[in-house]
Amino acid sequence: MKKTQKAEVIPGSVGEGLAQRGVTRREFLKYCSSLAALLALPPSMASAMAEAISKARRQSVIWLSFQECTGCTESITRSHSPTLENLIFDLISLDYHHTLQAASGEAAEQARMQAMKDNDGKYLVIVDGSIPLGNPGYSCIAGISNHDMLVETAKGAAAIVAVGTCAAFGGLPMADPNPTGAVSVGDIIKDKPIINVPGCPPIPVVMTGVLAHFLTFGGLPEMDALGRPKSFYGDTIHDRCYRRPFYDQGKFAQSFDDEAARNGWCLFKLGCKGPVTYNACATTKWNDGTSFPIQSGHGCIGCSEPDFWDAGSFYKALSMPVSATSSMLAGAAAVGAAAGVAITWHNRSTKAAAKAAHEKVTVQDLTREVK
Amino acid sequence: MSATLAKGINSFKEVIDTPIASYFSSCVHCGLCAEACLFYNETGDAKYTPIHKLEPLRRVWKQEYTLLGKLGKMLGLSDPVTDAELTEWEPLVYDSCTMCGRCSMVCPVGNDITYMIRKMREGMSASGHAPEDMIGATARAVNIGSPMGIKWPAVQAQIKHVQAETGIEVPVDKQGADYLVLMSSMEIINFPEYLSALSRIFKQAGVSWTLAADAFEATNSGIQIGASDLAREIVSRIVVAAERLKVKCVISPECGHAFTAIRWEGPNLMGRPFGFEVKHILEVLDGLHAAGKLKTRGKDKRPLTYHDPCQIARRGGVVAQPRRLLNEVAEDFREMPDAGVMNWCCGGGGGVSANSRAEPLRLEVFKTKKRQIEATGVHTLITACANCRIVMEEGLEHYQMKVEVLGLTELLAEYLVEGE
Repeated sequence: MKKTQKAEVIPGSVGEGLAQRGVTRREFLKYCSSLAALLALPPSMASAMAEAISKARRQSVIWLSFQECTGCTESITRSHSPTLENLIFDLISLDYHHTLQAASGEAAEQARMQAMKDNDGKYLVIVDGSIPLGNPGYSCIAGISNHDMLVETAKGAAAIVAVGTCAAFGGLPMADPNPTGAVSVGDIIKDKPIINVPGCPPIPVVMTGVLAHFLTFGGLPEMDALGRPKSFYGDTIHDRCYRRPFYDQGKFAQSFDDEAARNGWCLFKLGCKGPVTYNACATTKWNDGTSFPIQSGHGCIGCSEPDFWDAGSFYKALSMPVSATSSMLAGAAAVGAAAGVAITWHNRSTKAAAKAAHEKVTVQDLTREVK
Repeated sequence: MSATLAKGINSFKEVIDTPIASYFSSCVHCGLCAEACLFYNETGDAKYTPIHKLEPLRRVWKQEYTLLGKLGKMLGLSDPVTDAELTEWEPLVYDSCTMCGRCSMVCPVGNDITYMIRKMREGMSASGHAPEDMIGATARAVNIGSPMGIKWPAVQAQIKHVQAETGIEVPVDKQGADYLVLMSSMEIINFPEYLSALSRIFKQAGVSWTLAADAFEATNSGIQIGASDLAREIVSRIVVAAERLKVKCVISPECGHAFTAIRWEGPNLMGRPFGFEVKHILEVLDGLHAAGKLKTRGKDKRPLTYHDPCQIARRGGVVAQPRRLLNEVAEDFREMPDAGVMNWCCGGGGGVSANSRAEPLRLEVFKTKKRQIEATGVHTLITACANCRIVMEEGLEHYQMKVEVLGLTELLAEYLVEGE
């Protein structure tokens, strides 16, 4: 083996950046192969992807964080080193991300404005977190409400990626009773292509894979009815679950500590939401392919589905009714309590009257008078 | 003053409490209690189904304490409880129920049917529907001091006899003794061995104890007939004597319902907690044994079995103690089928043995006990209730079985290590 064959290096391109960092073409091709596999593309696409990506200019990305917990950012950055995902940061120019960027205050906002101006119509907006429509003061950055910042930034974007269940579907902030009036990105922005990458948080490689697709093909991947890329959200967890054979045989764990659970039987009866959850956990897994919740012994909680927080207990089997609404329950309880009080009061008076009528029993009282 | 239907119905209304209301409303009519009942099981007659024995009480509950029942009563859709009906139910509530508690054990919704029979008897007795013999026994218990008409001089005579036989002084009315010993009339008349055995065991163990001249009788006919006012009067004699003598513990003798009367119903009847403990004699003996104060030597060679008295085992929780004691003195102890908390009643509990009208039925259902004893193949039967003992002796004689019945306390005394 001699020197690695050098690709043609275009100044200012991704390829130049990679070369400067000592990333070999072989390493880059391997990365592209795995990305192609993830995206369910034919193997021949890998070199085409490498070609396209290395020649592309680094994509300008503006990352907006609204009502969120930073879990999505944690997920995308907490991958292993050296990681495929780290390379992604060499492919894009992350021009604004208020958690990760060094700049603050005016300078930070200036960076966003600059990126929007320089890449008008071409930059990518990534959003994590939901947007409160109640009091704008619930969540704002640099004195700008989330709603205004989203509308302003989305105007010149090529596309928007809604990362995490909060941005995609409203998520936890929107859970009943939704105190901030939270909504998803898609509820506000109607005139731009939006890719939803839900999950709480999404799998890192799913986020990077979607970005790679955008860079390679300059467009959006095929999506399902909820705006999720089909390559990652095409099958349910249940369909791809390694415990599926136990489900088919009717072998279920009844508690988290029984023999069946230890034998790795299906967690359906313990509330696993795998059958109604579309995500790639069962195939790509987490932490560099180490495991995923079901493999660790806990059922899927359905975090990549809309309203997962309000879909009843995480530990209630899907076949069980979720529950009556709280207003129905409150009404029934009030009626029941009132009826109970009335009946109890009446019964108590009956019993008290019987007590008052009690004559002390003597031996003579045990016999009836002979008529 | 006399018993009337109105008093009986009023009493039904009075005894229906939260447990009874919830029991009636949660009964699922599964009929499991029937097969648990000695009387149904032996005769196959459906009228002996335990929950059916409560039918008049159930109707009063429905008519007085439920919305639909009240409506039905107003519209004349449900029949009121009548004297004729209670007359028909009298043998069901008294003759064919020993309050053994087996039905309560099997009820899948947890209904304590025995508790309801006990309460229903309040209304039965107040309406004059208690058996004549039980009325007589109750009158003697209240007026004379014992259901069998025994007075203190009869006890004194037995004390004299025991003292002459054992050479041990039987303490009477001793202030500050640790234990107050009670007896049942049956033991005073038929089984003097009990007092003698107890004197010897307590002497050897160094236990401080006493009898009380005004409270020697442990039985309580008021509980059996279902007249709480009278039951209270009878139990209060013991409470007053125990508190006067300042004893630490009252010992219920080898008698089933006496234990229920003093240990469980007593404080409820008095409406206050006792200032002393109540223990069954087997609990006391087991305690002495565990402390190394009850030493025995040698073992009985005869194969023997043990009959669990219902009120002591099933309703009283004293199950392991007799077995521990028996294993000390018996070489060949055999359990009968269904032994322990699901043991079958001798057939004479709950006042049935005091009710001569019930005798033919009682002997009929003794067949169950007969089969149990035969399954063990023994000729020696141990028990810890004088009433079970006399009922079984009569049954064994009726069926001409050669089986000897002994009290556990006296069996222990036979192997007692004395004077060391």
